[in-house]
Amino acid sequence: MNRIYVLFLFTILFTSCEKFLEEDSKSQIDAGNFFQSADDGFSAVNSLYRKGVPTFYNTAINSASNLMIGGFLAGLYDNQYKGEFVVRAQGLSVNAGLDNAQLQALWQSCYEVIVRNANFALKYLPEAAGLSDSERSQLMAEAKFFRALNYFYLVKMFGAVPLITDTYESLDDMYVRRSSEAKVYEQIINDLTDALANGGLADKPMPQNGFRVSRGSVAALLADVYVNMAGYPLNDVSRYEQAAELARSLINNSNYGLIQHQDRGEGSAYSMLRTSDNEKEYLYTIEYDEVIAPGGGYPMFCFPQESATWGEFPKYGMANLGYNPVSFLHQIYDKTNDLRYQEKQYFHSSYTQVNGPNKGTVRRFGTPIPYFWWEEKAALETGVSTKDKVHYRLAEMYLIAAEAIARSQGVTDEAAGYLAAIQSRANMNQSAEQIKVSLLALSTEEFIQEVWREKIREFMFEFKVWNDITRTRMYPEVNAEGKIDFVNLIGKTNVFGGTYTEDNLYLPICEQELQRNPTLAEPPL
Amino acid sequence: MINYVLLHGPRFIPKVANQRLYRIMKLIAFCLLIGSLHLSGKTRSQTITLDVTRTDIKQVFRAIENQTGYAVLYSDESVAGLQPLSINVNKMPLETFLKTLLKPALLDYQIDGTSIFIRPKRVPHRSSVMTTGNEPTEAPQHSVQGTVTTDNGQPLTGVTVALKGTSMATITDSQGNYRMVLPEGDGKLLFTAIGFKPVEKAVGSQSRIDVLLEPLVSDLDEVVIVGYGTQRKSDVTGAISVVTAKDMVSGATFNALQGLKGKAAGVNIFSNTGNPFGVNGSAPRVVIRGMNSINTSTNPLYVVDGVQMDNIQFVNPNDIERIEVLKDASATAIYGARGANGVILVTTKRGNSGAEGTVVSYNNWVSMGLLSKEIEVMDAYEFMEMEDRAFANIGKYPQGQTYLSNNGITELLVDRSDPLLFDEDGNPRYNTNWQREATRNAFSHSHQINIQHQGQKSSTGAFINYTDQQGILLNNYAKRASARFTNDAKPLDWLDINSNVLINHTWANSIDDVGGGLTARRTIWEMLPILPVKFPDGSWSSSQFTGNKLNLAQEAMTNPVHELTERVMNRYRTKLFGNLAFNLTLAEGLNLRTQFGVDANISSNKDYIPNNMINISTRGAAGISHSEQLYWQEETYLTYDKLFNSNHRLNATLGLSWSQSNTTGDNTGTVQDFENNYFSYHNLGAGTTPSAPSSSFSSWSMNSYFARASYALKEKYLATFTIRSDGSSRFGANNKYAFFPSAGLGWVVSSENFMAGVGWINQLKLRTSYGRTGNTEISPYSTLATMNSSTILLGGNRAAINQMSRMPNPDLEWEKTDQFDVGFDLIGFDNRVNLEVDYYYKKTSDLLLARPLPLTTGFSSVMDNIGRVDNSGIDFLLTTKNIEHENFRWETTLNLNYNENVIKKLGENNEDILTAPSFVGGNIILRVGHPLSSFYGYERLGTWGTDEANEAAKVNAVPGEAKRSAERKIIGNGMPKFTGSFVHKFYVGNVDLIVDLQFVAGVDTWQLHYHTSEDRTGYINGLKSILYDSWTETNQNTMVQQIRHRVYAGHNTTADSRWVSDGSYLRGNLVQLGYTFNDSKLQRHRIKGLRIHASVNNAFLIHSRDFKGYDPEGASNTDQFGQNVFFYQYPTARVFSIGVNFSF
Repeated sequence: MNRIYVLFLFTILFTSCEKFLEEDSKSQIDAGNFFQSADDGFSAVNSLYRKGVPTFYNTAINSASNLMIGGFLAGLYDNQYKGEFVVRAQGLSVNAGLDNAQLQALWQSCYEVIVRNANFALKYLPEAAGLSDSERSQLMAEAKFFRALNYFYLVKMFGAVPLITDTYESLDDMYVRRSSEAKVYEQIINDLTDALANGGLADKPMPQNGFRVSRGSVAALLADVYVNMAGYPLNDVSRYEQAAELARSLINNSNYGLIQHQDRGEGSAYSMLRTSDNEKEYLYTIEYDEVIAPGGGYPMFCFPQESATWGEFPKYGMANLGYNPVSFLHQIYDKTNDLRYQEKQYFHSSYTQVNGPNKGTVRRFGTPIPYFWWEEKAALETGVSTKDKVHYRLAEMYLIAAEAIARSQGVTDEAAGYLAAIQSRANMNQSAEQIKVSLLALSTEEFIQEVWREKIREFMFEFKVWNDITRTRMYPEVNAEGKIDFVNLIGKTNVFGGTYTEDNLYLPICEQELQRNPTLAEPPL
Repeated sequence: MINYVLLHGPRFIPKVANQRLYRIMKLIAFCLLIGSLHLSGKTRSQTITLDVTRTDIKQVFRAIENQTGYAVLYSDESVAGLQPLSINVNKMPLETFLKTLLKPALLDYQIDGTSIFIRPKRVPHRSSVMTTGNEPTEAPQHSVQGTVTTDNGQPLTGVTVALKGTSMATITDSQGNYRMVLPEGDGKLLFTAIGFKPVEKAVGSQSRIDVLLEPLVSDLDEVVIVGYGTQRKSDVTGAISVVTAKDMVSGATFNALQGLKGKAAGVNIFSNTGNPFGVNGSAPRVVIRGMNSINTSTNPLYVVDGVQMDNIQFVNPNDIERIEVLKDASATAIYGARGANGVILVTTKRGNSGAEGTVVSYNNWVSMGLLSKEIEVMDAYEFMEMEDRAFANIGKYPQGQTYLSNNGITELLVDRSDPLLFDEDGNPRYNTNWQREATRNAFSHSHQINIQHQGQKSSTGAFINYTDQQGILLNNYAKRASARFTNDAKPLDWLDINSNVLINHTWANSIDDVGGGLTARRTIWEMLPILPVKFPDGSWSSSQFTGNKLNLAQEAMTNPVHELTERVMNRYRTKLFGNLAFNLTLAEGLNLRTQFGVDANISSNKDYIPNNMINISTRGAAGISHSEQLYWQEETYLTYDKLFNSNHRLNATLGLSWSQSNTTGDNTGTVQDFENNYFSYHNLGAGTTPSAPSSSFSSWSMNSYFARASYALKEKYLATFTIRSDGSSRFGANNKYAFFPSAGLGWVVSSENFMAGVGWINQLKLRTSYGRTGNTEISPYSTLATMNSSTILLGGNRAAINQMSRMPNPDLEWEKTDQFDVGFDLIGFDNRVNLEVDYYYKKTSDLLLARPLPLTTGFSSVMDNIGRVDNSGIDFLLTTKNIEHENFRWETTLNLNYNENVIKKLGENNEDILTAPSFVGGNIILRVGHPLSSFYGYERLGTWGTDEANEAAKVNAVPGEAKRSAERKIIGNGMPKFTGSFVHKFYVGNVDLIVDLQFVAGVDTWQLHYHTSEDRTGYINGLKSILYDSWTETNQNTMVQQIRHRVYAGHNTTADSRWVSDGSYLRGNLVQLGYTFNDSKLQRHRIKGLRIHASVNNAFLIHSRDFKGYDPEGASNTDQFGQNVFFYQYPTARVFSIGVNFSF
């Protein structure tokens, strides 16, 4: 043994290896080399289904969902487990610094899905390998639908916002100024009309389309967009006609239809709305199931917080009237004739226990509380909500059509018929024809207010109210006869003491984003 | 890696005198001696370095002449009859050397110009003569005998035993025995030996006096371990803290780093939990000289026996021989891109036992941990009174009015009619103290056996340990079995082989230690005191008590005893760590060392939550996850160490390093809905609702080249230059390699001639350094644009989704820390005072920052090099020997760090960065001009008074609610400015006492638990202040809000300054009393050493009165800025322990 030999052996250690410092991420695919097959194209678009606006339905029992914020800002709903944000939203003192985290989440989740998912897909899909032409146009249409949906919420929540239609792969051009609302709406319309014209989407209810976006989903969103453009702040009243046209196209398409009553109890249309995930009325829904995407705390929004100690819902252990209409709003219903207000349709006023040591005990709530989200199996057995959330259903198209026609043509037979269709489904004593006759007697203004009332009644638990208030700038209040009337929003004080000003129409942009992008302070382009 | 050197054969100086020196030192000394003898140069050195065996004293005098240039003059008569000498000294000051050399020989010296005169000592009493045995004298006589040993039980040969003040003396024989006949009277024996501290013993009437001598190692002659090698401490120009096993006494502890706490200036160690497994199994947080990074780790680099190690916390603390903490750039630059947070070098114990032979030792401790403090929460009666008041106030708040009117009532009263909970008079039947019920007296124990064998050409060490550490929360423990084997062999003259294998396994049942869930560490405060642990029918109580009448509407809580008893959080960690090194001596002073090391970690987490735990899981939830990490490194370096011309010492190192780490993980996901709780996590298939499984992979590699040259001129002027070039896979394609230089200078002022007159200074060295180090600790792949792949629900099935994971940044490079250090080491007053002071300034730029991006880009941040953080401060270490009496010694060490941290620059627009915890309006904020870890929230100004109702209404408040500032501001700081310890050691005879005090100051603690423990009333149990200090009509000048019932009347809570308290504290970290048994008595039983000790850890804790938790030092999340921010803590224990150290 000689030390020279040993030394020689060690010299091998001094040799270099070129690839030693190269990185190979085995659990992630290289983004630059992604679109290789049809499956890649679908997976890039699939992500849009559960990001951005759809996540606004997510909730925990002791908080509220992002969609509920509108109801709180309107001062028309209360949350028994009021977090700080709910209180400030009702008091209209939402602040870019204080409520930073929540405001940031709203903003960020929309832009993330727009830029990182939709724009990315739309940029690469035209060239992506492995897709047939029809698949490609379908995926492009879906991506455009979701981009429009998210921009629509952004423009409604924040007003003028940066308009970004490309994806970011480097640090260039990051500080984008806000675009006017008109420009944002223009982009939304371009996307949606393109999706309708070139998407080749199936013309059927979303549940029957494998829960993929259908032509009905796109048309419903576009109709809603048009109605909003016709209102504040653009007041582009020519849009009413386009809204009516689109809504009409869905109403008159026999692939879609309103849910019909089997009976006035558990077979009513409203009970089906609560229990069924697959109806011809559903245009755009967000799916939930037991395993992959549990539906959160909704069933427990049907009980007061005290109920947690009843021993009735051991799988939840917590309850909260998280989105409970303020008492005056109950007056919007005809308490004797409106089926929706009857026990165990949209509301319930008592509950008889079926579980545990207090089985048989009857709990009374005083004022009726939400029943809309009640899921028996979830509440009593599994602790997992599986009910899908319906974002657009045909009933809304009836009301959009009724309002849009009345605005553009006056109270026509068609307009009255659409409103009557929704009202008669709820009315236990009058037929559609009878209702239509009385509706035709209304002035245009009265008719439109009746549409708004009906929208509140029909969508009491579907988070539409703040959108309607801001586009019309009209606010519901109780008149001398105890009925709901609409008055100017600006200057009105809600039951929580908040008085509306122009500033309350939009949420402030969070403090963080204002720091990160100083150009946001500049006037919109 | 320490190679102890052994000398064999009889000699004058004790066998083990050189046991703390390294082989390399011996060689140097030898070279020096040879060199000196032959060169006979006339340069004048003030120190002597000598290694001789059985040499005539005249030879020694010649060596002195050669090394110092002095002429040594002596008469043959005066040195006649002296025994041959064995001497091994290293750089001993000349005069010290002469004193030590001549004193036993009863000679004296005088230095005059260029000559040293040696002459017989003038002795006052000529009645006795030097004796090597027992000689009669005329006075009444008294015989004394005994044995002299080292502190590890080795007999010492050649120790001079003298009767103080006389010329009577003897030396010990080869067994360390001596015998003397002394005149009667109050004499004192003085035991002296070269290389050992002298010891004095009063004789009195004793006939046997056994003595234990401690090695004397002058601080500047000590060797310190630096990266890739060792250096003489005297030559070091960097700031390095050395802590030896002896100083790391820590009582009963599980964690390897606990013993380092407070022992090294500038090293802050935050324990953060009483859970023996640590927060999520993480090590205590260690921050060296302030935090200098934002998005990357601030943990130091751990290097154990030359190999980098993760999970240092699972190393057995008993295995550690010493720890070197490298702090400044001169010391850390050799670790280049991983050195910016400081480097902790751990050296483990090995087989070298000093002398040929085998030493077996057994150490154990047994401890009892008790709840150190009970938080003052309301008892059952106070709780009910609070609820009564809360109910009475319902109508005062808008939400309460709505509740009352909706229910058609004007007031709500607490229902006390349930006979299960209340007696006929409405008094609670139970008054449960949940803190007591959920904790226990935790019995822990540890056993360690060391077998250390030293042979002629090899040494072997075998170390096994078993430790069972119980937490004071029920069912919480961590146990560890550890085995380690070391071997150091020298099969050939030119080849050394060092190897080391460590295998250990830790198994634990943890608790939920992070976050805000309603789990035990929170519910031990919040659970209703009116509930029993179990009802008479044997069922566990929960806050959702279904007695049907209680209308308190409490938050859903599983009772903590129930949770701790039945919830399973098993944790397993297996570590295999080892290295093999070859050391080739290529030529004199030239060595090539190559070392291959591996650190493999396998961990698994296995959890089960039974299906009856409200608000934790009511479905039964099980999950198993694993991760495997394999790190390897291969490092080869050349070392050249040589003294030229007796004036120029060069120590140079040149080497390269390859390393790679691969981590894979897999996770079953949480499987839910178990019909019964039988299976725990052992049959995941029995759960009906599985979730998606996951797995992961990550890898990084580095390739580095480094060089260091250390030069010392005349032992006075020192310089060290270091460079390292690092290539890392983690960085952008355009910036794979980076370069880290440093330079250090030192000046041993005390060696200058002009200092000769300054008698009180023994050693004084000035040091300064400047250099650059880096930080690479970002996640692998941070520069690449990749797709995140997972699945979602679509059409009733799982559908694949893909999303761009991040913004790419191919230009990403290292974070750079430039550090300037200036300091001095001073030893003075006859070696009794040792002072080390350093000032440092660290500038960290090009921060690896998750730079905030406009969210409109779709991303919230991108990894970028941007921003700057500065740290500056002072490390101060003062060790003093206050009393050095023969039977009583008292030493103190005061250790202080002052650090000032400030953010100088952040992203392009200096955007604030808000980090977790984001909690009811509070955040940690990173803002330019402020330190990292600043608390950001509202200031509480008080409570609204009845005369301020109108003003209050403007912010939707009513009198009795908190009054806060309009804007958020910085309301506290979580990283301390001052940290340190004050350690006292007392030795009285065989008894020793250590009192270790630890303190921090200039820091705040954010008690987020005030959210529920004080502000959100009626809904849970909370602090007594709710009842006694809260706002009432007659008590309006208070910070505590009016009691209201959260469910019926709402609440008002925001993270504000009311929750911030001063976080300074003084802790009785350790008090340990030890007794070392007299060796000679034990020797009859062949026992080499026996010491017993008793300790109290966390003996006391003095903190601000505003602090209402267990320990002001805490963190509820693993986020690096969350220090001293917590939402309920693991209760801290006071631990009493006893132990024995036994060797034979």
